[in-house]
Amino acid sequence: MTIKIDKSKRYGFMPGCSLPSYSPEAVTKTTAYLNEVFPNFSAVQKCCGKPTKAVGQYDLFKERFADLQKDMDDVDIDEMIVACQSCKLTFDEASPTPTHSLWELLPIIGLPKELKGKAKDSDIVFTIHDSCSTRHLTALHDGVRWILQELGYKVVESEYSREKTRCCGFGGMVVPANPPVAEKVMKRRVETLETDKIVVYCSACRSSILKGGAKAWHLLDLVWGPVVYAKDAPPEDVLSSPVKAWINRYKAKKGIEKAIK
Amino acid sequence: MLSNVVFSEGVIKNAQKIIDDCMGYEDAFCQSRCPMGTDVKKYVNLIGEKKYDEAIKVIREKLFLPNTLGRICAHPCEKDCRRGVEFNQPVAIAALKRFAAEQADNESIWDTTTESPTGKKVAIIGAGPAGAQAAIDLRKKGHAVTIFDKLNVVGGMMRVGIPEYRLPRDIIDREYNYLNKLGVEMKLGVEIGKEISFNELCEKYDGVIIAHGAHKGNIIPMAGHKAEGVYPATEYLKEISLTQKFSRAVKRVMVIGGGDVAMDCARSSWRIGAKEVYQCSLEDMAKLPASQEEIHESVEEGVVFNAGWGPLEIIEEDGKVTGIKIQKVKSILDKEGKFNPQYEGEAKVIEVDTVIMATGQLVEDVTGGVLPQTRGGRYEVDKETLSTKLDNVFVAGDAAGGFIVVEAMALGRKAANSIDRYLKGQDLRADRDFKNEWTYETKLNVPLPEGTEDLQRLHTNMRPAEERKKDFAQSDLGFTEEQAVKEASRCLVCECKLCMKECIMMNDFGICPKDIITGLVEEGKMEAMLAYSCNACDNCTIVCPHELPMKNIFIGSRKDFVKANKGESPIKGHGAIKIHQILGFSKLFTTKIRGGKKK
Repeated sequence: MTIKIDKSKRYGFMPGCSLPSYSPEAVTKTTAYLNEVFPNFSAVQKCCGKPTKAVGQYDLFKERFADLQKDMDDVDIDEMIVACQSCKLTFDEASPTPTHSLWELLPIIGLPKELKGKAKDSDIVFTIHDSCSTRHLTALHDGVRWILQELGYKVVESEYSREKTRCCGFGGMVVPANPPVAEKVMKRRVETLETDKIVVYCSACRSSILKGGAKAWHLLDLVWGPVVYAKDAPPEDVLSSPVKAWINRYKAKKGIEKAIK
Repeated sequence: MLSNVVFSEGVIKNAQKIIDDCMGYEDAFCQSRCPMGTDVKKYVNLIGEKKYDEAIKVIREKLFLPNTLGRICAHPCEKDCRRGVEFNQPVAIAALKRFAAEQADNESIWDTTTESPTGKKVAIIGAGPAGAQAAIDLRKKGHAVTIFDKLNVVGGMMRVGIPEYRLPRDIIDREYNYLNKLGVEMKLGVEIGKEISFNELCEKYDGVIIAHGAHKGNIIPMAGHKAEGVYPATEYLKEISLTQKFSRAVKRVMVIGGGDVAMDCARSSWRIGAKEVYQCSLEDMAKLPASQEEIHESVEEGVVFNAGWGPLEIIEEDGKVTGIKIQKVKSILDKEGKFNPQYEGEAKVIEVDTVIMATGQLVEDVTGGVLPQTRGGRYEVDKETLSTKLDNVFVAGDAAGGFIVVEAMALGRKAANSIDRYLKGQDLRADRDFKNEWTYETKLNVPLPEGTEDLQRLHTNMRPAEERKKDFAQSDLGFTEEQAVKEASRCLVCECKLCMKECIMMNDFGICPKDIITGLVEEGKMEAMLAYSCNACDNCTIVCPHELPMKNIFIGSRKDFVKANKGESPIKGHGAIKIHQILGFSKLFTTKIRGGKKK
């Protein structure tokens, strides 16, 4: 189903947990851009509570999500935009507020004009790694591919892409529970990708792919950051350092506040 | 392990679905079609890996005559082989079995252990495959076993029905030596009903198994059937088997019938000096019951087929056969489905001096009328236990309705199982796994492996037709090693376990979801680490032909673990999530902001 944009409504953006922990720049620039596009715009930064649900703490999850929903309601959000696939599924299930994935929305509102074709001269060929949680959301997959095409990047599809994608190893809170299994899953996912240069649209996936031994960029790195070439090294695995990650999260919060003012 | 977890109804319900429908334990088609339940897939793949010693052990777990069966088994396993069903190119399973036997069968690996003597004595009538199998199983259980056979040789119909050029006799003797090693007593050349009465046998022995086969030929009472030169296939093949010749002149032969026995009669005819060999049968070429190999080899040897032509009358002069009149068959069954052949076109006469009727075989009565017989002389038995109206008498093999060697063996095993229970005073049916005593339907239903190609079946090396039809030496030389390995590698290794190839973690907990989940359904138990090792990626369900809900069990049960663990995850490493959540909801890292500039 295509999203219908109604600019009389108030749109809200939430970057989630892993993206702000990874890249406050991406959060800030995305927020600023959406704020430009939508006349009525709010933003929220908080956790959706999915980790509690994932380990089975359903009562706690309800409390947590209610907390977030209150924030959304406080800033009068009519429709949500999220950059995290788990958030998308969690909101669809738990929130009365209609929620869209950023990746599905960007093709509709378009990218800033100056970004079109920015990477057309790049020699890099990316393999797309789709998030397994949203394996059934075809429009979301299409959006990701549209964005890459719009930027001018060359991509190849893995045999295990879209609805057939394989887990990066991070899902289900397995990393803290059974690290050897998570590690094997990460390695296996990398083995089933066509090239060693991977584009993802989940920061946790990015961290997993790096651990699995390939090079990975977040889609927003490619949108807002410098053009990436085959010889380039990917950004470091920030999520593996809790301290750096929380500093980033703080920076992202500040960035959001600054972008909207 | 948390012992106080109570799993919710939804989790148990999903687990039950897996117990009901997971195909992880389902056998391959080949194995389900073998009445003896031979693990075909396993030994074929061992041959593919050149592990012949291991392959022959797998075969010998079920079959005491691998070399024999490798040559003459009617191989129902091949009929349902996936490569047969999909491409009409089944794996040459029987020939591979022969190859394994030739490479690695050795008396030193024969399992000759027996349980301690029970003091019970069993008599078996018939030294064919049914009697031999029953004898083996009963000796292993510690009973004393004596086999009686009216022939002076072992093997029954394998010896006097299947021609020597297909099954060299030294192979039968060598494989039957297993019975000697187990201590089975053989009384050959003793006919029940003549030398010893059936009643006497029943009195002298604690139990009796009747397995003397169907050695009486069937003669169709058509005009001319009493003429000199008309013989039933059984008589013809028996004499040729024992003497390599036939005492009556045979120059031009017509074999009536379209089964393997008819092919054996036709091909044997060349070997005793016939100049012309014909066949006729109601069934046309496409519907001949004989195996493709036998038909092909008969054609190669020059047998003239009149498949789809039925015999009308045997023409005789001075009481001797001079020809046979045949006519094209229009239909075999009438509208009601009854046997009522109709003919069309002009009849033709083929000049022959011999007519062999390979049209069914009958079981003779050895009980002196004590046990009632039914169609074809088969004794009336309980189909599941092979018991008769006499408590201590059981029936096996052709006498109980088997048709092929491997079926006879399975019936022998079944009768042995029953008689062992009887001798121990146990119920014949209690806790008995009848399914595995015969062929069964496997629930396996999986897509062809991705990238499966139609690879042609390899054929064994035959001696040239013109050479082999002159003697009784084996006509089939079997596979070379290179051929066998290549043929074995065509096996598609039919199994499900598709999810196990996708999921890494389930492999740490069992062989298939059914295996992994059984404890949950049967005892209400599951390891927390299993539930918490699931990535919730759903790849297992995506590849599952039944789309079974594995994730729903693992993720769904976490709620129950938390409930049993005072609201916390039972996994130590999840302590970190607590900190993550505190920070993730703390003011320092959160914000909510309402843009207002374009309001």
